[in-house]
Amino acid sequence: MSSRATVGPPKKTASYYLEKIATNYWVRTIAKKLLIVWIVMTLTFFIIRALPGNPVEIMVMSLMDSGLSSEEAYARAASLLRIDLDAPLGKQYLDYMTNLLHGDLGDSYVLAINKPVATLIAQRLPWTLFSVGTSLLISFIIGMFLGTLAAYWRNSFIDHALTNFSAAIESIPNTLTAIVLVLLLGVTWKVVPLNFMRGSLSPGIKPGFTTAFLVDLFKHYAVPGAVYVFSTLGGWMLSMRSSTISTLGEDYVTVARARGLPDLRIITAYVGRNASLPLITGLAISLGFAVGGSILIESIFVYQGIGLLLNQAIAKRDYPVMQGILLVTTITVILSTALADLLYGWLDPRIRVTGGGE
Amino acid sequence: MSKIETAPAPQKRPNEALRTLKLLARNRIGLLGLIIFVLMTFMSLVGPLIVPPETQAHVEQIYQPPSAAHPLGTDFQGREMWKMVIHGGRDVLIVAFLAGILTTLVAVTVGAASAFFGGWVDSLLMSITDMWLTIPRFLLLVVVATLVRLENVWMLALFLAFFGWPGLARQIRSQVLSLKQREYIEAAQLLDLGSAHIIFREMLPNMMSYIVIAMINAMTSAIYSQTGLVFLGVVPFGNNWGVMFSLAYAKNAIYNPNAAASLLVPMGAIILFQISLVMLSRSLEEIFNPRLQRGV
Amino acid sequence: MSQPIHVSTVQRTSAPALSVQGLTITYQAKRGDVQAVRNVSFDVGRGEALAIIGESGSGKTTLGLGIVRLLPSTATIRQGELLYRRFGAAGNGGGTSATSEVDVLQLKGRDLRQFRWKECAMVFQAALNAFNPVLRVSDQFGDTARAHGYLQGRELADRARHLFELVRLDSERVWRAYPHELSGGMRQRVLIALGLLLEPQLLILDEPTTALDILTQRNIMDVLKDLRQKLDFSLIFISHDLSLAAELADRVATMYAGKLVELSDVYTTFKNPVHPYTIGLIHAVPTLTAHRDHVSSIPGSPPDLIDLPSGCKFHPRCPLADQRCREEEPELAPASEAHHWVACWNWQSASDRLHNGQKGASA
Repeated sequence: MSSRATVGPPKKTASYYLEKIATNYWVRTIAKKLLIVWIVMTLTFFIIRALPGNPVEIMVMSLMDSGLSSEEAYARAASLLRIDLDAPLGKQYLDYMTNLLHGDLGDSYVLAINKPVATLIAQRLPWTLFSVGTSLLISFIIGMFLGTLAAYWRNSFIDHALTNFSAAIESIPNTLTAIVLVLLLGVTWKVVPLNFMRGSLSPGIKPGFTTAFLVDLFKHYAVPGAVYVFSTLGGWMLSMRSSTISTLGEDYVTVARARGLPDLRIITAYVGRNASLPLITGLAISLGFAVGGSILIESIFVYQGIGLLLNQAIAKRDYPVMQGILLVTTITVILSTALADLLYGWLDPRIRVTGGGE
Repeated sequence: MSKIETAPAPQKRPNEALRTLKLLARNRIGLLGLIIFVLMTFMSLVGPLIVPPETQAHVEQIYQPPSAAHPLGTDFQGREMWKMVIHGGRDVLIVAFLAGILTTLVAVTVGAASAFFGGWVDSLLMSITDMWLTIPRFLLLVVVATLVRLENVWMLALFLAFFGWPGLARQIRSQVLSLKQREYIEAAQLLDLGSAHIIFREMLPNMMSYIVIAMINAMTSAIYSQTGLVFLGVVPFGNNWGVMFSLAYAKNAIYNPNAAASLLVPMGAIILFQISLVMLSRSLEEIFNPRLQRGV
Repeated sequence: MSQPIHVSTVQRTSAPALSVQGLTITYQAKRGDVQAVRNVSFDVGRGEALAIIGESGSGKTTLGLGIVRLLPSTATIRQGELLYRRFGAAGNGGGTSATSEVDVLQLKGRDLRQFRWKECAMVFQAALNAFNPVLRVSDQFGDTARAHGYLQGRELADRARHLFELVRLDSERVWRAYPHELSGGMRQRVLIALGLLLEPQLLILDEPTTALDILTQRNIMDVLKDLRQKLDFSLIFISHDLSLAAELADRVATMYAGKLVELSDVYTTFKNPVHPYTIGLIHAVPTLTAHRDHVSSIPGSPPDLIDLPSGCKFHPRCPLADQRCREEEPELAPASEAHHWVACWNWQSASDRLHNGQKGASA
């Protein structure tokens, strides 16, 4: 454990410091995530270049359909993807990686002709990050609250109702949730005007720190946000419940009661804080899940995010855009999970010292 | 098979399934789940043999709300919804079954190997699992679906399994880890019966209940993802519940009160089937492992 | 049928700090009621140390948890009375120097919280896990102090430093540490220091050394003996280890199957025990003077607390058991010497018939 550090100051050689750095939790977390990012970039390259239904071939075909000759189409596809298609695969891979590191994701060729993919994505990504991020936070907080409630009132009617409800909503596809909400809120009950379920802003509203913008932003966010919350809430609630139940059995909770601490302090700092630790790890999984769902939810609500863009790119088979979105979202999600891991390390002092691991 | 007398592993076999059914029958929610599950499976697999398919449009009865003549209403081509629902379950269910089995197979292999061998095998497998768990797999699934034609149920099931195993693998791993501590497994290890013997003859039989639950959960997620893929139109299937509601949605059935049935009926079928699976799996969990709490 | 008897200490002049009268605690289990504590009565004098000894499953931990009202929800206190006496000037507000009596079983909410730790602190068996892993030791001292309106900030740190010195801890290292950075023995001493923080009148130690290795155990015992000399508090020491009890206690109560079977001062317990179970326990302790062969264990195992045997609960394991023992349960009654109580029909002949050599008395 920490014995090495306390045994006094023998010789602190370079290898000592190297080992210190290599076993540091923060360093390891970041290194692991960067490795995953690299794997994803490589994977994407091989999907585009090496999979049976080779996208490059499909691109060339569709460019030829628009009247180019075979050579012209080939050269055009190469320039759009920023790959020298005649070079050996190794060289292609190197070029591809270099371009990515420079933020060059190629150009769109159907959706927005000759527009850089990076620009397209930069316009859309903030919307997805905003809607998914906010919803996840809301769902996390409500789920923790309900889970704690169910755990404290274990086996009561409320507990059974909450757990069964959570398990049920977890299994209902988010597409169906979205459609049901549109039907109920917009068509049957007419609570939310339908134009707030289309797009991410009303026409004419300019982004900025104005009340009009914020109000409009919220109104357009409300229903799609509710769908994200609804489709992730059950998981949080069930995890928090089981985590709280096992924390309540810990000795330090009994001791805290024996110490005469107020209930509120015990629930928050003793039970809640420890019980929520395993959920922080779940945040990473949930983020990936919610972002994946954005392609469906943004399509239903015509929300101007990355999911909608991907759906449009898929409909038109715009491969550079598809590749770019896949890369950027995956990398964003992985980096966000690095944040969750760092948060975890900050919340749990036991992780910081040792290398962590399982 | 083995000549050596092994430590007594709890013997369970054919009548175990019967016993489980009896226990399930006593659990109200479980029984309800089982009944819905069996009825819908029967309807989807046997129903098409009895009820003729709706192959033709009936222009004179487009978008009829449910009535005595049209029990579940009609769709945008005037087809009877009740017949469509009976014919629309087969593909959904078969894909769910296949994907459930394949997902469980991969998850059990990865999870059991990881827990059983430990060490670097465990680290490697769990790193891969975690990575696979974190990335937005559904986006990847959608993009890959545009490249690889998921034309038949097998291909789709295989892909769903390929994208759906990591969560289960983690659960199986922790299950095997706790099983490894049990006495009869330790005894078998001491007797040096070999990994294959221990895994296949001692551990797996004792994990059957857990694996069945895992498989039901895998089916639930398979239907979840499948619904999304169908809605995006990347899975070229004929008539099934997913296609039915997607088409109805695309035809703006949502704003037409008379068309509501053509949207809601297939959606209801999917939701009902999902909830029956959830009821089944939760009741089985309660029966086999009352103390088991569903973790992350 | 059996009415509680008043077992009082006359060793100390003042009224006892804690009087337990006819306490009965049961747990609801699927098979039936677990009778963990049955009609237990005893007093703890001011400044006195009482050891409660018995095998695991004899109900001694339940008794301890019952006194601080920390029983799990499946447990109910069927009957009995817990009277706690607060001596001298009360710390908060009043300023009365008179002794006040508290009916612990009637305490609720805020009053109960104030009673816990401020009046009666309990050091638990599993001290390894007694601290919240995500809070520093200083924060956990701060929490406790704040809950009772005690010192804060600098003053609290000074008071803690003083206590850490008493339990022989390096306060610089411990104060800012997280629990996982401390060894098991250190954590146990931190918990003892935390127990003394609010100067409680009564400290309950539930097997405080069980989870520790032998050297650490020795260390903790020395600390406790030291504390007993330097500070003024009453002590209930729950243990299965007679030799530890002998070191620390003024009086010893032997518990079997949820009931006290013998109660006397520590000298009498070791020199002249009269209950066959106590005699058996003492024989089971290896001593320097006794030969190895003389160390014996009590045959049989503790009874099932759900399905207790008839009559005296010890009779299935007792070499002296006769018809009466099988039919009728003896209550705690005075033995020959003053302040020596025993619950046995045959206590008068027990010590002779069990060839109770004086060997066990060396301590």
